[in-house]
Amino acid sequence: MKMKFTADIIIGTEVHVQLNTNTKLFCSCATKGEDIPNSRCCEICLGMPGSKPLVNQKAIEYALKLALALHCKINPDVIFSRKVYFYPDLAKNYQITQFEVPLGENGCIILDSGRKVKIERIHLEEDPASLIHPAGMEKSQYTLIDYNRSGIPLCEIVTAPEMHSPEEAREFMNKLKIILQYLKIFDENVCVIKADANISIKESGYIRSEIKNITGFKEIEDALLYEIQRQKKAIKDNEKLIQDTRGWNPDNKTTIRLRTKETEADYGYIIDPDLVKIDITEKFVKDIQKEMPELPEQKIHKFIHTHKINEQDAKILAAEYILAELFEQIAVEVSPQLAAKWLRRELIRVVNYNKMNFSQLKIDVKHLIELFSMIEKKEITETVGQDIMNQLIIKQFSPKEYVEKNNLKTVQDIAQLESLCKEIISKNAQVAQDYKNGKQEALHFLIGQVMRQMKGKADAKALKEMFEKMIKDE
Amino acid sequence: MAILKGQRYYKLKLSIDNNNYQEIKMITNLHNHIQAVHNQSIDIVEYTAKALEQAKAINKEYNYFTTISEELALSQAQNLKKTPTGRLAGVFLSVKDAICVQGVESTAGSKILKGYKPLFNATVIQRCINEGAIILGKTSQDEFGFGGFAVNTEIVPKNPFNKDRVTGGSSGGSAGITQKADFAHLALGESTGGSIVNPALFCGVYGLCPTYGRVSRYGLLDYGSSLDKIGPMAKTIEDIASLLNIIAGHDDKEATSATQKTEDYTKYLNRPVRKMKIGIIKDLFGDVFGDGVDENITKAIYKKIEQLESEEVICEEVSMPITNKYGIPAYYIIATAEASTNLAKYCGIRYGAADDLKSNYNEYFTKFREANFSKEAKRRIMLGTFTRMAGYRDAYYTKAMKVRTKIIEEYQHLFKKYDALISPVMPMLAPKFSELEKLTPAQHYMADIMTAPPNLAGLPHINVPIGMHNDQALGLMLTTNHFEEGKLIQIGSAIR
Repeated sequence: MKMKFTADIIIGTEVHVQLNTNTKLFCSCATKGEDIPNSRCCEICLGMPGSKPLVNQKAIEYALKLALALHCKINPDVIFSRKVYFYPDLAKNYQITQFEVPLGENGCIILDSGRKVKIERIHLEEDPASLIHPAGMEKSQYTLIDYNRSGIPLCEIVTAPEMHSPEEAREFMNKLKIILQYLKIFDENVCVIKADANISIKESGYIRSEIKNITGFKEIEDALLYEIQRQKKAIKDNEKLIQDTRGWNPDNKTTIRLRTKETEADYGYIIDPDLVKIDITEKFVKDIQKEMPELPEQKIHKFIHTHKINEQDAKILAAEYILAELFEQIAVEVSPQLAAKWLRRELIRVVNYNKMNFSQLKIDVKHLIELFSMIEKKEITETVGQDIMNQLIIKQFSPKEYVEKNNLKTVQDIAQLESLCKEIISKNAQVAQDYKNGKQEALHFLIGQVMRQMKGKADAKALKEMFEKMIKDE
Repeated sequence: MAILKGQRYYKLKLSIDNNNYQEIKMITNLHNHIQAVHNQSIDIVEYTAKALEQAKAINKEYNYFTTISEELALSQAQNLKKTPTGRLAGVFLSVKDAICVQGVESTAGSKILKGYKPLFNATVIQRCINEGAIILGKTSQDEFGFGGFAVNTEIVPKNPFNKDRVTGGSSGGSAGITQKADFAHLALGESTGGSIVNPALFCGVYGLCPTYGRVSRYGLLDYGSSLDKIGPMAKTIEDIASLLNIIAGHDDKEATSATQKTEDYTKYLNRPVRKMKIGIIKDLFGDVFGDGVDENITKAIYKKIEQLESEEVICEEVSMPITNKYGIPAYYIIATAEASTNLAKYCGIRYGAADDLKSNYNEYFTKFREANFSKEAKRRIMLGTFTRMAGYRDAYYTKAMKVRTKIIEEYQHLFKKYDALISPVMPMLAPKFSELEKLTPAQHYMADIMTAPPNLAGLPHINVPIGMHNDQALGLMLTTNHFEEGKLIQIGSAIR
């Protein structure tokens, strides 16, 4: 049956997420640890004759959490099938996956525009081994196989063809990533996320290409942008497009044809007779639901309505699980508005400056609370606060003790400040005159001079008022 | 207990001179043998040497073994001499080649697994070793269990009563050595569609195929995973019960392993059968195999039915129209579909035989599989692959799965009324190799008409030997409801 499309661009994706379980999907080998090739495998993930798989209950729980978070209908049975194809990365020459009945169906992710992208199915399967071509994919005379990856649980998320731009595809992936973070079933530093994307355009009558194996979140947008251009150019050049499967080369940012539809594999699925049906009881689902954390949408709602911060801040904080967590803990101790402002502006700034991601962040929330409350009580200036933030991300220390030790408290002595201002004005008479003549920047210079001498410990706002008054009164 | 580590060589050190050990009189009774080991009245190392010698001599004539695991057996015997414990202490165990024994070549009778020495013991093997059993060797079989006559392999076992006849299959080697071994001996067979009871019949021994899941499949080289069952083979029904006691029970390494509680099966031996009800599957005594069932079989079985009736067992004729019409096709579709996926892993890369890794992967594995699978294996892989392809899947594989459910229902309906069902095991008596050659593959498959259905339904069944017709063994098959192995032992021990 041909679908009736009307949009200019039609995109659908299949995303594979490595789940962050301790052990593999069908054996007790570790999913992470030493990277010596073939050090984390056993008779089961090597497909040794006579070995039999056993399902990792944790992987089912993780996948179930994701299915619930994506608003899927949960099927009452988990059934595994064998997908048969001969490839050297498959220990058994078949992959254990779910075919007939997926774990979850009919879910969605809501984009910022409010549009829903339908999730057709979510299922569990085993990751194949990794193939290593020592001299590169094309030139290598031989291939090495590393089974450390063989059997790591993968969750596949299949969307309906309901995205209409590469940007939307990227947004979808980002939204998915945030949910994975919240559920704590995916570790950005260890787990791999890959996508296959289907794309077709109106001009061709929606003849679709499937791009395989796009790794990471940004690549998907690039790959789709390239593919749209390629398809449009082909039509312009009067080339006939045919349905095909293509590979994405991230190095030169192009796609190449792998195969056409005529050579599409027939996997000959059968239900895996080595495994038994696992019941997903209502009670089990309820227990999982109880364990489910608040998700981004719920957090945003709470931030706006309970913590009374603005929508934009709420969305930015909720988009990083760790930021959201920090905010909630800090907002109990200091003003939520101040916390929101400092987290979204200053913490993000230093994280980006240090080229880190939030999952690598080692910061003690107690220290942030100390810092923010000193700022709130105007015990330190924002300048001092920013400086402490710069350091807090590198090493852990108590901002309170640091301020005391280094005598960084805001100078409250008005007389001292006034005499300093006077001194600065007399030293920079011309600048003061410039300000008097209407040059606003001149005032900033003067304030800067005081700040320098005070090592940032003066309240900039107070200084400004002081200078204005003095120059006016002169 | 003794597990062979790697390939260490154990030298046989005999404490007595060779002449004495030649003089040893083996104890054939299992119970007496185990007692003698326990109270150390025999030197189990000497006995093992003797058993190995006898096994080798038998093997020379009859081809029952693919490997005689001499080193392992002697090392186990030496350990046992030090610690003479276990419910199978010193009992010699022959193992169907498809069941993994750590460090001992396990090929399921296939060229493609030449040299494969498993790194682990099958659960059944570990349990037997833990009870002091001594592994004699791996027995010959149809490649991967593909056959009912044990001829689809390189080492073809011969019938213990007449070397021109077949042992039956696929567990032919296990059945043959069980008949010929003149010492305390047990064997493990495996059945997918009849491979325990069929060779047990032709070799005149007991063979019990348990309920699917009753005995762990961990470490079994798969044929059809939803059908495969490991079971005991022995000369007496007492020994069948003893071995079943050890191998039955849940295994947390295997997902399809049953969690139902096990019983002491020896308690069922010689239990009164009065007032029990048995259904005689009358369709299986009729014209089911061209010329019909061999009349000698029918006569012998009805004689035993009369004996049971004289002991007030209620025997009634029953009919199983769906089962007997669709059992064979459903069985062959499911078994080959599963087999074609189970055998996909054999591609000459990770284990077993291998060629020079030249050419590309596709060329390599295609050539390798072509050269190392037998004709019958290829036939079943092709058949099984066809039935699960898109476009045919619903018409064959999916339909066969539905038929399977219907067949189970037909059995369950009868088991509401009957304790057991009785039928022939095979439509013919042990044929000669020369007679087999005349059969087409379809006729070969049809010969499983009695055994495929209980296997398809996962029901326990047993071959009970009931005498000889000239040089051909006679037997009957009893089938009971799931997890009622006890009743098989009970009724089986009543038929003498």
